[in-house]
Amino acid sequence: MSQKKDGKIWIEGMENALSDASLSGHSSRAAFADKQSVAVLPNLWIIKIGGQSIMDRGAKAVHPILAELVAAKNAGTQFILGTGGGTRARHIYSLGLDLKLPTGVLAHLGSSVPMQNARMLQLLMANDGGVICPADDVDRLPFILNSGCIPIMSGMPPFEFWEKNADVGLIPSNRTDAGVYLLAEFLGARGVLYIKDEDGLYTDDPKKNPSAKFVPETTAKALLEGGQDDIVVERAVLQHMQRAKKIREIRIVNGLKRGQITAALRGDNVGTLIRAN
Amino acid sequence: MSKPMPDDGRTHVRSGLMRESLVSRKLLEQTDGETVKGMVPDVKLVAIGGRSIMDRGAEAILPLVDMIVAQRPRHRMVVGVGGGARARHTYAIGLDLGLPVGGLARIVGGVEENNRDILQFLLAPHGGITLIKEHFRDLQLFLNNGMIPVCIGQPPYHFWEPPPRDGAGIPDNGPDVGLYQMAEIIGAEQFILVKDVDGVYTDNPTRNPKATLIRETTARDLLARDLPDLPIERELLHTLENARTVRHVQVINGLKPDNLKRALDGEHVGTIIRSSRSRA
Repeated sequence: MSQKKDGKIWIEGMENALSDASLSGHSSRAAFADKQSVAVLPNLWIIKIGGQSIMDRGAKAVHPILAELVAAKNAGTQFILGTGGGTRARHIYSLGLDLKLPTGVLAHLGSSVPMQNARMLQLLMANDGGVICPADDVDRLPFILNSGCIPIMSGMPPFEFWEKNADVGLIPSNRTDAGVYLLAEFLGARGVLYIKDEDGLYTDDPKKNPSAKFVPETTAKALLEGGQDDIVVERAVLQHMQRAKKIREIRIVNGLKRGQITAALRGDNVGTLIRAN
Repeated sequence: MSKPMPDDGRTHVRSGLMRESLVSRKLLEQTDGETVKGMVPDVKLVAIGGRSIMDRGAEAILPLVDMIVAQRPRHRMVVGVGGGARARHTYAIGLDLGLPVGGLARIVGGVEENNRDILQFLLAPHGGITLIKEHFRDLQLFLNNGMIPVCIGQPPYHFWEPPPRDGAGIPDNGPDVGLYQMAEIIGAEQFILVKDVDGVYTDNPTRNPKATLIRETTARDLLARDLPDLPIERELLHTLENARTVRHVQVINGLKPDNLKRALDGEHVGTIIRSSRSRA
């Protein structure tokens, strides 16, 4: 015969700070609001290589960036490489939208192209220690890093069918920028660096609007409230930053300009710095 | 066949989103849809509470299992389940150890798997079968064979669990959200949350005898009320608000198993929460 308390199976030792609390209750949640958490891998950088901005430019853009990254690794910098999707991801989203497929299905479909890009980078970096790190192997990162290898993964978060609908539009909100950011926040990483094909943030898309002005530093809050139509990173990243405990800033650099990645990893003020607020 | 267009150094494919930034609000507005296709729209998703039902043991679980078995010939169902007391214990120990929110989200599913395996075992003589996310797309295979798929609720956000809205160290997303999201993809006819109270009250009815039952409301109104406690995840309301297929959910009292039969038949027996963005 099982022991019960308030009609529920109960054993000695199950009492805890949450046992009588509802996980939706404001008071029980507030009790843990200021709780500090450990940093899982605090020396690790999370670096994202843009899909459309870098990968789709081919060898001319990709090879010098990889050379810079390998040099950084050999100089002792530890990092994960996350990949974006780019043009083929836009194509599958277009096809899915045309068929009125739900957001979660688009997120599932949108995971394939960044994985292709991760595999491309792994082949190119194999001789320098590039290995694929699938989402399920994140808990093996110490093994990969201690072997002197470079973990390479799709930037997409593993949400797939569980990606929630956005308030506007059907395109998944959490794509590869958000995926690498959320992983960095979990790891308590040293920093997040986005490698794109622009110097950083502009007041509008500089590829379409030549009078767009460069913004060297701003806040996620200002960007979200500012009403700018186009932004260099996914809005979901800016929203997550508002609530994040650890990663309070991100940097965007131009991978087409030699030395920018190295400078950013050294802590130099290059590209655009976006702080939470 | 798309013709590559290496005009600006990037090789594009001609598509509706060609050269577009997917961040642009204007673009997102153009891609919106009032409705989307569902995967298996004649399915009803039954979400069994962990703390509210499973932790009560045989007296709550067995009559519900009998009711699910009795309804199987009349309804195509997917059964999901939450974690309950052991999920809370996991969070309490994990928080004390200083685990980040993504770490908690990664490990909490383990206790739900126990509950899923218990329900699956009990339903097995009548077709109960384990549904894991890798087989989500095989749903028709199970249903067409008269089976009752049983799955966990926690969404697979794992280490990528977004920072909570309220700054708490506890994940926003739990089994209610995960199962709702499955229902959205399925395009399910019903999403029924089986709990141990008659619905959503103005306060926790087991502690505040003055609390009154809310029969029908919208996710937006319920969020705006900012009630101190809810029998469902607050995040479910944010998620429901952006519904494209499952535009309402019903919270019912599973300690009265007849409620499940009636809710499956479309009757209003608990609290119905609608998405306020409901469109024609």
